[in-house]
Amino acid sequence: MTNPRPIYLDYHATTPVDGAVLDAMLPFFSDRFGNAASRQYRYGWDAQAAVDTGRSAVAALIGADAKDIVFTSGATEANNLALKGLAEVSGPGRNHFVTIATEHKSVLDTCKRLERDGCRTTVLPVNGDGSIDLEQLRASVTGQTVAVSVMAANNEIGVLAPLREIAEIAHAKGALVHSDAVQAAGKVPFDVNALSVDLASLTAHKLYGPKGVGALYVRRKNPRVTLAPLFDGGGHERGMRSGTLNVPGIVGFGAAALLAREQMPGEAARLTQLRDRLLAGLKKHVSDLVVNGCLEARLPGNLNVSFPGVDGEALLVSLCEDVAVSSGAACTAADPSHVLKALGRKTDLALASLRFGLGRWTTAEEVDAAIAHVATAVNRLRAMTPV
Amino acid sequence: MIYSAAVIARVRDPKYAGWLPRDAPDVGTGEAGTLDSGTMARIQIRVEESTRRIDQAVFKVFGCSAAIASASLVTERLRGAPVDRVREIDALTVVAELALPPERASVAALAVTAARHAVEDWERKHDRNL
Repeated sequence: MTNPRPIYLDYHATTPVDGAVLDAMLPFFSDRFGNAASRQYRYGWDAQAAVDTGRSAVAALIGADAKDIVFTSGATEANNLALKGLAEVSGPGRNHFVTIATEHKSVLDTCKRLERDGCRTTVLPVNGDGSIDLEQLRASVTGQTVAVSVMAANNEIGVLAPLREIAEIAHAKGALVHSDAVQAAGKVPFDVNALSVDLASLTAHKLYGPKGVGALYVRRKNPRVTLAPLFDGGGHERGMRSGTLNVPGIVGFGAAALLAREQMPGEAARLTQLRDRLLAGLKKHVSDLVVNGCLEARLPGNLNVSFPGVDGEALLVSLCEDVAVSSGAACTAADPSHVLKALGRKTDLALASLRFGLGRWTTAEEVDAAIAHVATAVNRLRAMTPV
Repeated sequence: MIYSAAVIARVRDPKYAGWLPRDAPDVGTGEAGTLDSGTMARIQIRVEESTRRIDQAVFKVFGCSAAIASASLVTERLRGAPVDRVREIDALTVVAELALPPERASVAALAVTAARHAVEDWERKHDRNL
C-alpha cells in the first residue's frame, strides 16, 4: 500500500514552517508591508520594530548581541560573505584560510574561489569517524591565516566540532573563527561567546522558519570583525549587506529562533531517543550496516548509515513513496557524498548510504514504520543480487 | 533522477525476481554485465518443450532502478512468449516502455542481452538432449 505522503525524515535538508511562525509572518506580507528602511512614516517604523524583534530573537539563540546579526538571504550567502568579506579586508601578509574536507559546498567552493583570487587555503582531512585532528589543525594555522572555518554540526553525519578548542588554536595565531552553524543552531547549545566564535552562519529554514532568510553573526567586540560586503547598494546591515530587508522572513526567523530556544532541551532528548530507536531497529532487521560518523558528539536527530551490497540509487527509488530520506546533502545528491568519501568510504558504499534527519514532528510510530520500509527495501535489493 | 511510474512500480514490487535451478534441462540461464562494473542482470527461463513457449521467466539483478525495471519488464515479456521470438525484444522498446533517460539505455540492453543468452543456454541444452 502506498502512503498518501512519505514519512519525512530529511529535516537536515529543510523543515516545514511552524504554524506559530507562519502566523507571526503573515501580517507582514499585507497589512504591515512597510520597508524597514523607510524612516519617515509609521509603515517603516512598524517594519523596523518587527526587524528589531526578530534580530533580538536570532541573537538570543546564539548568545549574541542583536547588533552583531547581519541578515542575509540564507546560509550560502552568509558563508560567502564571511569568507570573501574577510579575504577582501585582510591586511598584507594574511591571505590563508583553513577549513575541513567535510564542510558544506558553500564553504569549500568559496575557498576554491578565494584560491583563484590569490589566497591560499588548507582543506584538512578528518578522522574516519568524522572528527577533527586538532593537532593537525594546530600545525596548519599560521600567522598568515585569516580564518579557520569549521561547521558546528555536519549536515550529513551530524558530527559536532569542538569549536572552543578550535578557537583557542586559531586565536593563538591571530586568526578568526567562522562556523557554519545552520544545523547546530536551535538543535544543540551554540553560544558564540562560550565557544569564542567570531563569525557564524545561520538560516531560518533549518529550524522551522521560512526559506530565503539567514544571518551572519559578526562579532563587534573582542575583537571587532570587519568585512567587505558582497553587494554594493544602500548600506543596510551596518554596510555589510545592502538590500531591502526581508521583513516577513526576519519576523519568521525570529519567531522560529524563539521557539527553538524554548524547546531545545526537551526536543534534543526526545530526538536522541528516537534516533537511538531508529538505529536499534535498523540493526535488528538489516545485517552488516555501517554507521557513518561518531555517535557520541552528534546532532540528536541525525543518523547516517551505509548498506553494503546495495545500489544506493535503487534504494532511494525503493523508498521514495514511503520515506523521504536522502543519500547526502540535498544540493549534491547526484554524486557520492564528499563527506562520506572524506571519512574513507569507497564510492559504492558512499552511494549506498541514507541520511536520516529527525525533527519536530517525527514520532516513534514514524520511526518504526521507516525501519520496516528501509529493512524491506535493503533486504529485497540484496536478495535480488545475482550471486 | 526522476523516474517514470513504470520504473518505480517495478523497483518497489519486482514481481518476477527469483531463480530457477540452473542445471535443470528445461531451464536456460543468461547473464550480462558484472557486479564489479555496478550492473549485472541474470535472466532465467523455463521452456515447455512441446510448445516451445516460455512458461516461467525470472530475474536477478544488481544495479540502479533502470536496471531492475528493465530486467523486470523483460521477464514480463518473456512469460508465455515463443522461445523463437525472444530475439524480437529489443532494448529500444524497453527504454521507451519504461521512459528511461537516454543515458540509461545501456542497462536496458544488458537485460535484453541476458534474455538472449538465456535462450542460447536453453537451446544448447535442448540440442544436446535431442
